[in-house]
Amino acid sequence: MSTIDALIAIGLAVLQAAGLLAAAPLLKTTIKKMKARLQNRQGPPWRQGYYDLAKLLSKEPVRSADASWIYVAGPRVYFAAAVAATLLVPVLLAAAPLEAAGGILLLVGTLAVGRFALAVAALDTGSPFGGMGASRDMTIAALAEPALMLCLLTSALAAGSLNLGVLVRDLLQQGPSFHPSDMLALAGLFIIIIAETGRIPVDNPATHLELTMIHEAMVLEYAGPDLALVESASALKELLYLTLLVDLFIPAGIATSATPGAIVVGLVAWAGKIFLLAVAITLAESTNAKLRLFRVPELVSVSLGLAFLALAIRFL
Amino acid sequence: MTNDVLILCAAGMLVTAYLMVAQKALFTTIRLYGVQSLLLGILAATIAATESQPELFVTAAVTVALKAVLIPWFLMRVIDRIGIHREIEPFLSVPASLLVCVGLTVIGYRVSTGFPEGARGVSHHLIGVALSMLWIGLFLMVTRKKAITQILALLTVENAVFLVAVGVTSGMPLVVELGVAFDVILAVLLLGILVHRIVERFESMDVSRLTKLKG
Repeated sequence: MSTIDALIAIGLAVLQAAGLLAAAPLLKTTIKKMKARLQNRQGPPWRQGYYDLAKLLSKEPVRSADASWIYVAGPRVYFAAAVAATLLVPVLLAAAPLEAAGGILLLVGTLAVGRFALAVAALDTGSPFGGMGASRDMTIAALAEPALMLCLLTSALAAGSLNLGVLVRDLLQQGPSFHPSDMLALAGLFIIIIAETGRIPVDNPATHLELTMIHEAMVLEYAGPDLALVESASALKELLYLTLLVDLFIPAGIATSATPGAIVVGLVAWAGKIFLLAVAITLAESTNAKLRLFRVPELVSVSLGLAFLALAIRFL
Repeated sequence: MTNDVLILCAAGMLVTAYLMVAQKALFTTIRLYGVQSLLLGILAATIAATESQPELFVTAAVTVALKAVLIPWFLMRVIDRIGIHREIEPFLSVPASLLVCVGLTVIGYRVSTGFPEGARGVSHHLIGVALSMLWIGLFLMVTRKKAITQILALLTVENAVFLVAVGVTSGMPLVVELGVAFDVILAVLLLGILVHRIVERFESMDVSRLTKLKG
């Protein structure tokens, strides 16, 4: 590979990461807005997500006197892991910028590193909320991660590759063929996305009620730019999961060649599909009541069951 | 294309059966049954359209009207009237039930390969899903305490049988279909009355209390 090719590849990677990072707050606001409309409220303006981030970034970071370097590093590692994970997923083009680095295993591992860093940082100051939130978040993650792996492996089994770029290209080449295990894995993955992004049956992103919060409790002590990093990384992770679901189960429309026309079609298709998923999430959030914490493992075990079954049916 | 719709509907029915196993809220379980029946109706209508069998449209319409609308409405009304506690109390915990159901589905799918029809293609998946749902329905029936959930389990079994009848043999004669439909609605009505009586007598829908009737 010549230097120019390498530069182009790096440019594409930066472009994809920056684009997703810029689009992520919009997704969050869109879901908030649609939820508000369902409740006959006006909802926040479209740019609210960006205003929030700008507000947090302009403040000075307030840190506990007992905080060590772990506390400072937590949000940074979390953010870096989320950005790194986006480079492994094909978005507009049926190829991921850092495809050569690894596939599904690296993706799940990278996200786990970020989660670990944040949980350790929450424990660092010794505040009860941070510890409680970290323990809850880890409980759910420990159940959701194997289910996520199984769902992703079901698709990988169909394509015969663990690499997401190869996987999507294979799916496109095979054309639309449907197997029951796709439906099961899709349902399983949707439940995992709800659990991992802290949506309503599992966690309520809109409140700071002591007894119920999970993710919010973990990051309760952060303020200013630290919190901005956590917030934007969380939004990015949500967009990343939705993109992953779109890639694996409805890849139609994604660009196979890097021509401007194909990219534009890919952009429109991607945005449309993400919007439809946002509608589905809004409906799921609006029609369900939050589960008691002890019932959450039951919900996640449903997705584990579905994922396991999806994998089993592939062989039958 | 047709095959994709059929498999999508069948797989959707299997997913709703799973969610029924996992769900503890009684009303949501009933709604899930409604969704399952709706998917069955879509499946029947798809087969009717592609194999140009107009009677199947009647079957599909009856299925949707009866099982997706009327029966869920009736069951919800019964629950409202009785005013019972709206949580399902299973004998087995949810993760354990799910594990059992995964095993049952694997058995159902494995058995479906034994049929001469079921060895390949869409029929394989339709029979597999139907057998799995049959098992899951029977499993639900023995592990749930409330009489209403047992009705739902029976209806799930009925949906499974219907799925095979419509999906694999492209439908029974219309007279039989209508007869079955009326049987189902009669069964639900009778069971509804029976539940009423059980609640009146024991002030609970817990069928495990029926053992007290023994002398």
